[in-house]
Amino acid sequence: MPDIGGIDLFVLEFGDILHYYTPYTTTLFLLALIFTALAIVSRPEGQIDIAFGGDAYYAKETTLPEMRFRRFMAIACGLATMGAMGSGDLFNFTLFASLVGITNVGIVAAVKNRHVLNAAYEYGIVAMVATLPLFGGAALILATTGTLSIPALAAGGFAVPFVGKALLVLGVIGEGMAPFYAAKAEMFRAPGAPYVIMCSLSSLLIFLRVVEIAITI
Amino acid sequence: MLIITRISRFVSNFQNLVALFAGACIIISLIGILSLPLAFEEHQLYPKTLDPASSLYPYDRGGVPFGTTEVVAQYPENSPYVGYVTTYLTPLSQYLADHTHYLGTTIVAHPGGIIDEILYNTRGLDTVVETSILFTAFAIASYLYRREEE
Repeated sequence: MPDIGGIDLFVLEFGDILHYYTPYTTTLFLLALIFTALAIVSRPEGQIDIAFGGDAYYAKETTLPEMRFRRFMAIACGLATMGAMGSGDLFNFTLFASLVGITNVGIVAAVKNRHVLNAAYEYGIVAMVATLPLFGGAALILATTGTLSIPALAAGGFAVPFVGKALLVLGVIGEGMAPFYAAKAEMFRAPGAPYVIMCSLSSLLIFLRVVEIAITI
Repeated sequence: MLIITRISRFVSNFQNLVALFAGACIIISLIGILSLPLAFEEHQLYPKTLDPASSLYPYDRGGVPFGTTEVVAQYPENSPYVGYVTTYLTPLSQYLADHTHYLGTTIVAHPGGIIDEILYNTRGLDTVVETSILFTAFAIASYLYRREEE
């Protein structure tokens, strides 16, 4: 099996569920950590729309309770991403991935903008349905190999079915990767820059991680 | 019009997102059906046998309460107390299990149910993350509901 993660730097043990950090996953983890810290300390942007052909403009204010809630969701999203980066258990990884999907909806759920909420609704439906291939893939791999531990599967000796990996990757792609990116791109029209960018970063990191998992196991 | 232009125009509209994802699911499902039969691995790490006669059905994992029970774990060295905690029930749960046949259906509705799940400590982190998902969804729903009152 190709080992693209590198050697284990640190292993955190929760019973059968290991969190292991290789140079690859450590890099992704640190990216999520730095961005979560930035989302905590920074203030939201103030978006300004200029009416075409005149001097009028609309300044979009983010109220304090709304900002607090979105910051909370952005932090939750960051924590879920960090969990998924180090997770050494397939089922746990799928749980973290679906948590990222829900927090992404939460980040824009507070925005009062019809267009953004429509996009978030469409995204939410796909993210919800995507949990079926996500958990189905993990269940298929458990049934055909008898274990869920990624290090054990990576060590070889198991015939992981292609369709199990494909379902896993499809589930993660449904959380907002291309070509299902349209709704997420529209969600970025919401004011409040550091929080909405968390949506993009989290799905990118999750995708990088699932590619590593699919190649390794 | 170039075919790539048509495709990107279709993909860029989020109203088509559900249809697009459904199509992808169908393709992967067809690949899955074509790759059948997939062999079931008999040597499962987490074996499960269902006993409909048990009062803890379908959550009965076997074993003797407050006794030592053999449990298979992926990393036994990480769970030194593994056999002791899978069969943990609070006295109330034990009483209900002894006198009714429906404890399995109320696994989260009484003290001991949730704790039993969490203390199944070889896969305890699963329970924590599952509950986090639930609470995040509650947080979003309650925020949206209460916002109307402001």
